[in-house]
Amino acid sequence: MQSAAPISFDRAAERKAVQDERRRSSLIDLGVTLATIVAALLLGFIVIWLLGKNPIQAYEALLTGPLTRMGRAGRWLEVATNLILVGLSVAIPFRARQFSLGAQGQMVVGAIMGALVAIYLPLPPVIGVLVPVAVAMASSFLLGLLPGLMKAYLNANEIVSTLMLNAIVLRLYDFVLTYFLKPAGSSTTRSLPVQPTARLATFSDIFPGLDLGRFNLGVIFVVLSIVGVWLLLERMPFGYAIRTIGANENFARYGGINTKRTIALSFAAGGAVAALAGMHLLMGVHNRLFLDIVGNIGWDGITVALLARNNPLLVPISGLFYAYLLVGGDRVEQQVQVGSELVQVIQAVIILMITAQVLGDWIRARRAHGRRIADSG
Amino acid sequence: MEQLVNVVFSAAFLAAVLRVSTPIILAALGGLISELGGVINIALEGSMLVAACAGVLVSVWTQSALLGLLAGVFSGTLLALILAFFHLNLKADLILAAIALNLLASGGTIFVVYLVTGDKSSTSRLVSGQMPFLRDVIPGIMNLEQIGPILNQNLLTYAAFVLTVAVAVFLYRTPLGIHLRAVGENAEAARSVGINVSHMQYLALGLSGLLASLGGVYLSMGYVKFFARDMTGGRGFIALAAIYLGAKRPLGTLIAALVFGAAEALAIQLGNLRVPTQLVQTIPYFATLIALVVYAVVQRQRTLARQRRFRETRTA
Repeated sequence: MQSAAPISFDRAAERKAVQDERRRSSLIDLGVTLATIVAALLLGFIVIWLLGKNPIQAYEALLTGPLTRMGRAGRWLEVATNLILVGLSVAIPFRARQFSLGAQGQMVVGAIMGALVAIYLPLPPVIGVLVPVAVAMASSFLLGLLPGLMKAYLNANEIVSTLMLNAIVLRLYDFVLTYFLKPAGSSTTRSLPVQPTARLATFSDIFPGLDLGRFNLGVIFVVLSIVGVWLLLERMPFGYAIRTIGANENFARYGGINTKRTIALSFAAGGAVAALAGMHLLMGVHNRLFLDIVGNIGWDGITVALLARNNPLLVPISGLFYAYLLVGGDRVEQQVQVGSELVQVIQAVIILMITAQVLGDWIRARRAHGRRIADSG
Repeated sequence: MEQLVNVVFSAAFLAAVLRVSTPIILAALGGLISELGGVINIALEGSMLVAACAGVLVSVWTQSALLGLLAGVFSGTLLALILAFFHLNLKADLILAAIALNLLASGGTIFVVYLVTGDKSSTSRLVSGQMPFLRDVIPGIMNLEQIGPILNQNLLTYAAFVLTVAVAVFLYRTPLGIHLRAVGENAEAARSVGINVSHMQYLALGLSGLLASLGGVYLSMGYVKFFARDMTGGRGFIALAAIYLGAKRPLGTLIAALVFGAAEALAIQLGNLRVPTQLVQTIPYFATLIALVVYAVVQRQRTLARQRRFRETRTA
């Protein structure tokens, strides 16, 4: 107890004290996160060494790989675009402590609903991009709303419901693609390309001579989403409601927040952002639909959001970092053959360590203890 | 249609349902214990995968299916105990830690398989042990017309049914099981009467890992005789769904797991009959969503009824 401290009514000083404390706390979080990443990378290093491979060579590939060629840098930025969008989408319900794992399905629904417009409806430039995106976002909003309503009003476990919806959506996607979108006589299961006006130009197209692979104008989605999600979570009443529910749902309800509606909408808002990742894959990267278009991005996005502690301004940093690891992992693959699995193991260790809150709390407790001694002495 | 009816009512179909249901039943029983203990185990998938992998590798190495089984169960249970340690001791979020362990299991097993075989996709080049079938114990059963092939299941399939009864007895008829459910119902209340919440939740997660591991070992050493990357294919998550579809009861969970198994077996059959398998495969997932809603509504009605009764007794 800080019984010795006099009661102060100096608002400005109080606010400053609170802000200082918050800043120190986030510095501790940052330190713990960085230490975790280093520890996980070290573990990978030891594993490769135990394999009898050259860990220095492998880590050189992992840590410099994405920058060794322009095309690889482009691949890095392209992957980061996806991961940042999914990370932002996941951060919204996670902030309300709702474990929506539905990003995978929401991306797919967005991509297929958007694709129906983008492939079959010729539209003028710009509108040709905006209309499919709007359709995709609306569809994924609704897909997100369903488990949100089930959780908020019926208390139905959101993990099970979102995983079930993912499984359903992926099979329906397979069905629609195989039986309706695949052109007759085609041997591979993929759709027709999107309309030329529905393409997001790659930077390689815009600046001839610059080879940035398939890195494309979808990066605009990222910029808009960062600003949008930040405004939503930090500057709007809806975001305040989400954060309050995340901190203490009962407190939020007693404080007059419509917790049910907020929880349901947090799932849906996440869905709308996830749709952008699907549209980036459709209109910017692949220009058509094929079976495994979303890969493992849904799970990777969860890692990205966690690394950033669901802070929309930190998601871009963790997204770039994580994409770097993934692309570097592909390079390691050529050296030790198990690069992508190695990155997966590193990913798992990072999440595990970050979820173990004990370390940060322990440092905070030590500091508080130290301060008490200083105060009393 | 007639063709379909013939398929569904054939002995081979029933045998197939039992075959594909087994890993789901085992994992779902484990998930049920963890759910009733208030610590739902999302890492069932990871435990199954690790157990499937360790089982095959150890059985190849020792030339003993039994040692393979033990190694599989040990490593899958260990994974669940790591989850318990992170959640209960290091205060990690249960869900996120479990997601991490699933990733670790997926990447780690491929890694180990590559180390041992030099192949990243499967261990099919190794000669794995296999858990015995009923035929191996009672050679005479194959002589029985019709029911012979149905009865000739892997012993782990029989174990799944026996364990359903065992889990029911454990949860509802033993002090330990009742304490475990009390912790899941209301941890604070359980603590106040002297139950060690942490021990009970360790037990719940450990048992869930153990049962899921049996399901994993069945996949790689019963259903087939090799380990393949990500061979669990989401069965750990389907098992979670079976708990809700089965209204969180052992018998209900068993029936729900059999429904999922039947849907999977049906999907395989319908694939041969040119019905889109993708649509058939969605049936169990839709069923789960509906079951989730029905279960939630029933629970709410019960709570409301209880509150009404409480008010009535107070005014009376």
